Amino acid sequence: MDRRVVVPGDLLSDDGKRSGEGTFVKDGKVYSLLYGLANFRDRINVIPLAGKYVPTSGDNIIGIVKDVTFSNWIVDINSPYDGLLHISEYPMRIESDEMSKHLRVGTSIMTRVKDVDSTMKVELTLSDRKLGVLKTGRIVEISHTRVPRLIGKGGSMISMLKKELNCNIFVGQNGRIWINGGAEDMDLALKTILLIEKEAHTNGLTDRIVEFLKSEKGARS
Amino acid sequence: MDESNISFFDKEGRRLDGRRVDELRPLKIEVGVLARADGSCYIEMGGNKVIAAVYGPREVHPRHLQEVTRAIVRYRYNMASFSVEERKRPGPDRRSYELSKVSREALEPVILTSYFPRSVIDVFVEVLQADAGTRTAGINAASVALADAGIPMRSMITSCAAGKVGDQIVLDPMKEEDNFGQADMPIAMTPSGEITLLQMDGHLSQDQFHQAMELAIKGCRDIYNLQRKSLIDRYNQLENVEAEPVEEVKACD
Amino acid sequence: MTNVISEIRKDFLYNLLLKGERSDGRSFEDYREISIERNLISKAEGSALVKLGKSQVLVGIKMQPGEPFQDSPNRGVIITNAELVPLASPTFEPGPPNETGIELARLVDRGVRESKAVDLEALCIVPGKQVWIIFIDVHILDDCGNILDASSLGAIAALLTTKVPASKFGLGDDYPLPVKDIPIATTAIEFSDVAMFDPDSDEESIANTKLTVITTADGSICGMQKSGTGVLSPDQVYRIVDIAGEKAKEIREKFLEA
Repeated sequence: MDRRVVVPGDLLSDDGKRSGEGTFVKDGKVYSLLYGLANFRDRINVIPLAGKYVPTSGDNIIGIVKDVTFSNWIVDINSPYDGLLHISEYPMRIESDEMSKHLRVGTSIMTRVKDVDSTMKVELTLSDRKLGVLKTGRIVEISHTRVPRLIGKGGSMISMLKKELNCNIFVGQNGRIWINGGAEDMDLALKTILLIEKEAHTNGLTDRIVEFLKSEKGARS
Repeated sequence: MDESNISFFDKEGRRLDGRRVDELRPLKIEVGVLARADGSCYIEMGGNKVIAAVYGPREVHPRHLQEVTRAIVRYRYNMASFSVEERKRPGPDRRSYELSKVSREALEPVILTSYFPRSVIDVFVEVLQADAGTRTAGINAASVALADAGIPMRSMITSCAAGKVGDQIVLDPMKEEDNFGQADMPIAMTPSGEITLLQMDGHLSQDQFHQAMELAIKGCRDIYNLQRKSLIDRYNQLENVEAEPVEEVKACD
Repeated sequence: MTNVISEIRKDFLYNLLLKGERSDGRSFEDYREISIERNLISKAEGSALVKLGKSQVLVGIKMQPGEPFQDSPNRGVIITNAELVPLASPTFEPGPPNETGIELARLVDRGVRESKAVDLEALCIVPGKQVWIIFIDVHILDDCGNILDASSLGAIAALLTTKVPASKFGLGDDYPLPVKDIPIATTAIEFSDVAMFDPDSDEESIANTKLTVITTADGSICGMQKSGTGVLSPDQVYRIVDIAGEKAKEIREKFLEA
């Protein structure tokens, strides 16, 4: 299993068929598009170390309403692009002049990306019982590139955190994370998430987080 | 000033600062030096001290500037008032507008702007201390800052100048060689040899032009190696990466 | 460009405040780590790079002979300018200084001028005809909060390293610029009846009142500025002024006295 840091333009392979995310093919060879970690499996993917969140259809994210028009809520989704939540995507039938009553500027919502077109018009939806307004709890923001690490292989890291922290945790693909639980548990959850963000690329992180949680909880009691 | 009175080379052919004709000035590159910017790079090339920052892709303001199919790229070259011998009035002048334009055109060919419609990638270059070759230093720093910001590019861009002093072609002219020399030719290129910037002022014969190009291309190769090394060294803790690769997973609740 | 994120951060910071904490663990009066690098710009007569937490400000001093102002024919001239370049923050736009940049420059200038740190009479070359002009140019590199205090610190640190370039203009030998005082600006925000010194950028974005106090080496006040749209009670002001004097003394002793 080969992994190494690459820069844009680095030659990764002579076999164009192995081109994955963050790469391009020229004259049958695979090159890196990004400054990041190249992952050499059947396909070669380059995972960037930095970059903005660009929404894809199906992403579950946390947005903040920033404007209300006559038929859309404009939602900040921590991206160069705003999300548009059309009035018809609200789980209830409501009138245009009632929109602010239900979702006003500053409201945080758990939402899903319904569609993204070629001009990066991003359509959101709330039509799903698992989605909705975030009234209680806290939201923290990390770099979206660290989200896979926070979730872990097969969801291992995030399941462990939910159990050990006794909190409800929703990880948005756009780097926004919602936590809900007792005050002290939420404090610890916040600290832990920020620690994971800081050390996302290091070795043995899972074990260190387990240790960290043990000692923090021990200090509490 | 009468050029015939200045001797640009000593008996051994060394230049005013001791370099050989094909030697670059000392070079230092630091990646990720600013907290607010999405990507940044500080560079010292000889006496030049230049810092570049990248913001983007981000929303375009004013909106009417946006392009439906791609990101626009903006490049702003600016010199600090204290960067030159005689204090410079703040703000852009005609020279900085021209430098900004050609520098942007040096980088834009390799940026995959189609990935980010209706957005802008802003590149800001501040010259903190000037010593001939600020535009090439700026482009070198900007290229690294773009990579640091996670902007997708077909390749890096490297920039370097060749000049002519005392009828001799030299690499990376310093201040006196630039002021009293006979030609100055900055270029920028990709590692595979595609030229993205080419400017020249002064006087060169066809033959001298070929020599200058060859020297500048060689200079770019050396600078590219340092750009690449700086980026890779920046994350040296990653040499020890996890054995289990992390998959891209959809967010769950 | 408004900052929608401040809703999340506001909430986060507010919760910490209720427990008497700041997001980086500092006390309400603590300054972040400060470092000053001097003389890094050889073309300038004096220079200093100040790092205050993650904020970075570079100040350069240039000097040249010029004409005095008509109403002060025997005094040197100080011109202070601040460039809030777009490189330093996503909210800075290119162009001439806006009201924030102008206010910052004028406050840095106020500290230097009102403390009489630089003896303007000593900068007279030919009375009525030629005096030294000092340009204090503040160049913000990274705005992570409280760039005002960082700029003010940078200005006095740079002045302390400045050499008058007399030889360049045939006016004798170069000599160190005489600096007679060390003004230090200290800024606090008022948030929910608590005064927090040296606000970082998140704290700045949630506060609507700021008070800057500039003190001299003997503890006198030589400049003040309340900014923002909030209000302060006299008690709040006295409290901030008290602590400001102490903080300024600490910073002065640690970084600027030989």
